[in-house]
Amino acid sequence: MPIVVYRFLVLGITTLAVAMPLSLVFYQSFLTAPFFDPSAKASFAAYSFVFSDDDFWQAFWTTIAIASGMAAIAVPLGALLAFLMVRTDVPGKKYLEPLLLIPIFVSAVVIAFGYVVAIGPVGIFSTLAKEVLGFVPWNLYSLWSLIIIAGLTHVPHVYLYSAAALRGLSTDLEEAARVSGANPFQVAINVSLPMIMPAILFAGVLVFFLGFELFGLPLVLGDPQDVLVLATYLYKLTNKLGVPSYQLMAVVVVVIIGVTAPLVFMQRLLLRQAQRYISVRGKGQKTQPLRLRSWRWFAFGVIVLWLVVTVVVPLFGITLRSFVVTWGEGVKLRDVLTLDHYRELMDYPNVIRGIINTFGIGVIGGALAVACYTAIALAVHRWNSGWTRLVDYIVMVPRAMPGLIAGLALLWVFLFVPFLSPLKSTMGSIWLAYTIVWLAYGMRLVSGTLLQVGPELEEAGRVSGASDLQVKRDITIPLIKYGMLASWLLIFLIFVREYSTGIYLLGPGTEVIGSLLVSLWGTGAVDLVSALSVVNVVMIGAGLAVAIRLGVRLHG
Amino acid sequence: MADLIVKDLKLRLGDNEILKGVSVSVTPGQVVALLGPSGSGKTTLLRAVAGLEVPFAGSISIGDNVFFDAARKIDLAAEKRGLGLVFQSYALWPHRTVFDNVGYGLKLRNRPAAEIKERVEKTLGQIGLGHLAERFPHQLSGGQQQRVAIARALVYEPPVILLDEPLSNLDAKLREEARAWLRTLIVTLGLSAIHVTHDQVEAMAIADKIVLLNAGTIAQEGPPTALYNDPQSLFTAEFMGSNNRLDGTLVDVSGGKATMEVFGEKITGLARTTAAKGSKVVGISRLERVHCSSTPGPNRLKMELKAPMYLGERWELVFTREHLTVRAYANAPLQPGEHYVEFPQDALWVF
Repeated sequence: MPIVVYRFLVLGITTLAVAMPLSLVFYQSFLTAPFFDPSAKASFAAYSFVFSDDDFWQAFWTTIAIASGMAAIAVPLGALLAFLMVRTDVPGKKYLEPLLLIPIFVSAVVIAFGYVVAIGPVGIFSTLAKEVLGFVPWNLYSLWSLIIIAGLTHVPHVYLYSAAALRGLSTDLEEAARVSGANPFQVAINVSLPMIMPAILFAGVLVFFLGFELFGLPLVLGDPQDVLVLATYLYKLTNKLGVPSYQLMAVVVVVIIGVTAPLVFMQRLLLRQAQRYISVRGKGQKTQPLRLRSWRWFAFGVIVLWLVVTVVVPLFGITLRSFVVTWGEGVKLRDVLTLDHYRELMDYPNVIRGIINTFGIGVIGGALAVACYTAIALAVHRWNSGWTRLVDYIVMVPRAMPGLIAGLALLWVFLFVPFLSPLKSTMGSIWLAYTIVWLAYGMRLVSGTLLQVGPELEEAGRVSGASDLQVKRDITIPLIKYGMLASWLLIFLIFVREYSTGIYLLGPGTEVIGSLLVSLWGTGAVDLVSALSVVNVVMIGAGLAVAIRLGVRLHG
Repeated sequence: MADLIVKDLKLRLGDNEILKGVSVSVTPGQVVALLGPSGSGKTTLLRAVAGLEVPFAGSISIGDNVFFDAARKIDLAAEKRGLGLVFQSYALWPHRTVFDNVGYGLKLRNRPAAEIKERVEKTLGQIGLGHLAERFPHQLSGGQQQRVAIARALVYEPPVILLDEPLSNLDAKLREEARAWLRTLIVTLGLSAIHVTHDQVEAMAIADKIVLLNAGTIAQEGPPTALYNDPQSLFTAEFMGSNNRLDGTLVDVSGGKATMEVFGEKITGLARTTAAKGSKVVGISRLERVHCSSTPGPNRLKMELKAPMYLGERWELVFTREHLTVRAYANAPLQPGEHYVEFPQDALWVF
């Protein structure tokens, strides 16, 4: 097969996979009824309905408020955390580093459940506080709590990008400030952080964007107070009119994409700028960490406090809850300890299928997804043509579709395209949705690895007599083997954690832990949810342990 | 086997015209050096011959086998040209052993395993690395890696082997040894080769013919002795060897001789200029041809000796007079002070 055929074949399939769900959503938004309904006519009725719905505007402004609040909390904390971890001699860095990334790898719904059972109105810590203080000094179900929790759980995103930028900065700038009389805090504020401003700005836009995608936290924490964001508004809309109101959902999806798409594009521009900054790196000399002296343990304390609030409280809460019969005021721990919830899991065939499916989608689905990402990356690799720009943009598009939306759009594709419909109730549909949703991330992992292959290694193959495809098979792929393995592990973690993409695709045969958790939570089965959450966390923990053991960099 | 002929090649990278019409020919058994400063297009020319860059005009062929012809829209893929290329960075595949690196080209040509084994071993034997076949590239020294890269390019007996600064990654001492080794190998095996280098000494030592490139065009080509002893342009004269440069005014041109005036003195050399009398001209003379004397005379300038430097096998003397600095070699140091520096007529080119 000539390379050109391969390239355009891959380009065509990718374009189709990305464009079909998207165009179907746009098409649906201009109809008066579901697209499969023969009575559906073209109109703007759905738009006028949604735009005149007060709940929609309420959800829209709440989303903006949460996204902004999140960025306002996560950006300064994440940047400061990066400075402490990268540049100073804060104690225990080696052990803190992997812990800092936990909020990225644990499913947001699990964290949300954790908060409910830990510090909700009858949560473990709430009852403890009530016994000691006589009252509960916090209210989990408020917009402010939601913003603070969303902000704190997104600190690692800012941390990752700021830390990468800081590592690229030459330390003599900071040493100069120190010698001139600045204390460590002043060094951070006046020298280091301004130098990595483009990276921080990028992270800020990223967090704001993630705020628009937020689904698990507002679903669990906002619901009791009727706090709706766009994603949860969409989710509730499913049954708003009694019949599936596809056209209304499509309009909300168009609105969300209308906000996220420019944000994705902006991130792309900012990232390029941030990387330009990083390239001003000094020589690879061993850098001396800034000595904090008396501030050392204070800084350590701040980091640990953040870890306790963001990681320990929810994970401890959910774990403890999964081992007790009930919880409330005056309950003694040893009276209520039980393993029943885990035994109960085994009574539900759909839960067992969900656990097996989740593992399968992580291991097998992850491998297949990495194979697809590699196939696309190889098609573009060393392709001296304007078509590569098109691929760049196509790959970016799914990033603008939050998982919930992508799952919905894919469901419609399966309903719309006759020869695909048998796939609808199989794990194939879940796999396709996951692979498309994480296309941009996976492509970044694989292309990052490909970038490290020197062009002359491939040219040497060509000159020796190998065709383009033979070079890819005999030289390029063997050289990126370890990078592909690392990508597989990271994709495994993400696929196992994923909850929102599978929600609309959930049915007999397509259960995964994430979407089961959301639907079980809706039925109020707290016992099951806790136990299943712990199973999910254990799977992710095992994956993380393997990744750390193999020395995989946890961030692309 | 026929000559490799490159005809009027033009190549653009982005908006930059890297090659502006270059023609080169390599006859069987000949070693041609592409020499030039960085950015002159020598590596680009080599890569175009290999099929790794695409020119927009001109042609490349060996006999009836046309590699590239812009007019006829022929562009043979790199793998179909059957040439051997040695990369500056060697580009050995890190995931393959020395044996597999060298044998890959034969495997692609579907040779039977026994033949591959025999030919790889023979080639590794020729370059003196027969015992290292099972090693991986990172287990070899820089010099050994370079030899493996050469073996990989030789093993399928290409009509021409292309070498892209193969010695530049070696340290100075090793480079001289490798240069002698490479020249011996080329002569013993009767190879045809194009050798890219920015080092004029290396080019002269290795090549039968030097093509000197300057900003995408050929400044001069010919045997090493011609380029060194009979430069046709100021660029060639200054690029080859170590030189002294005299700025002066042309006063007379006759019978192939040109006379220029420097500090009011008349200095005569070989005419390489068509400029009119009274124009500014430049005289170039190799360091080793300048000598100094204690008395005035024809073609001598009074100058002051500033710094004698001991180089081991000889002394280097630095003379100055106003803005002019002249360097010369001597077997013994001279006293600082005034001396007369002579530029022999047959060793001074006036441009």
